[in-house]
Amino acid sequence: MARQRRSILVVDDDAEMRALLLDVLRNEGYDVVEAKDGTEAVLALRARAFDLILMDKNMPGPSGLDLLPGFRRVCPDSQVILMTAFGDVPSYMEAVEKGAAEYLFKPFRMEELRAAIAKALQFDAQSRP
Amino acid sequence: MRGQWMRAIGNRLRHNLTTRLILLLVLALMVITGINDYTRLVSEREQLVMQTREDERIFAETLALAVRYNLRRGRTTEELEGLLEEIVARPGLAAVVIYDPDAGVVARTLASGSEVPTPDELVRRSLTQREAVSAVADSPSGRILRYVQPFRWPGGRVGAIEVQQTLREMERQFRRAVRTTIISRLLVLALFVLSIVILTRWNIARPIRALIAAARAVGRGDLAQRIEVPRQDEIGDLAAEFNRMAENLQAANAELVRQAEERLRLEQEVQQTQKLATVGMLAAEVAHEIGTPLNVISGRAEVLDRVVPRDHPERRNLDVILSQAERIKGIIRALLDYTRPRRPTLRPEPILPIVGRVASLLMERSQRRGVRLHLELPIGLPSVMADPEHLQQVFLNLVLNALDASEKGGTVRITAGPDPDLPSDGRAGILRGKADVPTLAIHVIDGGKGLSAEDLNHVFEPFFSTKGRGQGTGLGLAIAEEIVRAHRGEIEMLSIPGKGTEVIVRIPLADASPAPTPQQAVQHGR
Repeated sequence: MARQRRSILVVDDDAEMRALLLDVLRNEGYDVVEAKDGTEAVLALRARAFDLILMDKNMPGPSGLDLLPGFRRVCPDSQVILMTAFGDVPSYMEAVEKGAAEYLFKPFRMEELRAAIAKALQFDAQSRP
Repeated sequence: MRGQWMRAIGNRLRHNLTTRLILLLVLALMVITGINDYTRLVSEREQLVMQTREDERIFAETLALAVRYNLRRGRTTEELEGLLEEIVARPGLAAVVIYDPDAGVVARTLASGSEVPTPDELVRRSLTQREAVSAVADSPSGRILRYVQPFRWPGGRVGAIEVQQTLREMERQFRRAVRTTIISRLLVLALFVLSIVILTRWNIARPIRALIAAARAVGRGDLAQRIEVPRQDEIGDLAAEFNRMAENLQAANAELVRQAEERLRLEQEVQQTQKLATVGMLAAEVAHEIGTPLNVISGRAEVLDRVVPRDHPERRNLDVILSQAERIKGIIRALLDYTRPRRPTLRPEPILPIVGRVASLLMERSQRRGVRLHLELPIGLPSVMADPEHLQQVFLNLVLNALDASEKGGTVRITAGPDPDLPSDGRAGILRGKADVPTLAIHVIDGGKGLSAEDLNHVFEPFFSTKGRGQGTGLGLAIAEEIVRAHRGEIEMLSIPGKGTEVIVRIPLADASPAPTPQQAVQHGR
């Protein structure tokens, strides 16, 4: 794998979903850290920077949409991909407004995930000087 | 039997205008002509008597001359009677008597069946007063007219000649006159009644009966009923007026029916939309809840898919898991697509008819609730980019909420303008959607119970309701928000607990240039 090890923070309250994403993304060669809610995500972001944050929209406590503006402010270099239930169009609109790079409707195929991540990171690479 | 007859006539008099009219006119005519005829007949009779008397006077005078001449010549009683006998052939003459100055009968002649006249008071009066007297007297053969004419008796004294004429002929004449009068009067009356009957039947009774029949038909609900009366008089006017009334009634009725149908259609539409929205919300919830586990299943299967070789004995199990996960995804997608409200077709539309229809739809409900509904939209508002039916649904939900929140005697106002109506102090607000072009703001304001800041934060969430259990679906504002967002407008709710709520809907103006939206990409792209 020619490209450097990129880091991803997975934020989802569902343990099985987290486990799946961790397995798949680690297998892809990413450096993956998990967080089960907003609090853990904030703690993780304090500890280090991530290239990408893959975050569920619906979580107990602050939602992905609530967290998004703060994340964009604190770590503007991190791209954010939001995940939400299929057909949740209003959230999509709000997510785009708040600066999410990509949006995934659950359930999504792993190829879609890979493509979205690749797109977000490529975009990231281009926008970086 | 007789009583029944009388009752039948009484009924006819009470219920039939023609009969009453005829009876009245006949009575009046009978009284007038009766008096006239009576006086005429009475005077005619007097005339006849006078004429007879005059005849008798001439006759008696002539006779007196002749008798005097004969007496002077010294004729005997027999000779005088012979003379009288010749004269008495005159028709109607009952008797002729000659009296001497002492009222003694000198000569007399009698028609057959006549009574023998005797010198009486009348004769004596004529002799003493030396003047002619006459009187009507009754005799067994009928009424007679007596005429006593004094004449100079030889020797300077006065004798008298009496002529008695029967009045039979005159009375027969009179009776004939009475009879012809009565017959002619009856004829006139009959003609009169006949002409009135025909006249009223053709001119009044028939058209009135037609009017009654038509009015009954209209009363029964047959509003297409019209009357054909091609006339210029009052009845024609009445018929024309009736037709106009029926026409107006029919038009008003048709309008009512149309409105009722329209209302029904709208209500059904609203119900259908809300039902679909409810199912849609449920489907979204389900999709949301099973999205993650389904994602885990399909994700794990995909992981396996990459490592399990094509010819592995368990390969079929994996393929089934993959395809069935895909199938569930398809089902959810189809359900969501089906229940998602159709996309609005935005076009320039004036706001007044949209809000006006909502107001007219809810006018009855507001009246029932004792809440005044005020529409205060100024003339000449700019058009907005809208789907009228969708926007109608928004205002329907908003006004329904406002009515529900209002106390009896309260007012719900719908206005359009730039500024919020509620005082700026003490109000909490929530804004959903984002309009980045010039908009028209429409306000729905109530003076109801208002909402706490905490409740206000949740009002746009599906299934949130401050109304009692079972009263609201909790979807009204969620739907309103979705529609307003689809219009690329925004919806804001301001409230002060206890003072009222104001909802402001801002819809982009028709002449504002539309900005591209990512929504289409979402709906078609994924």
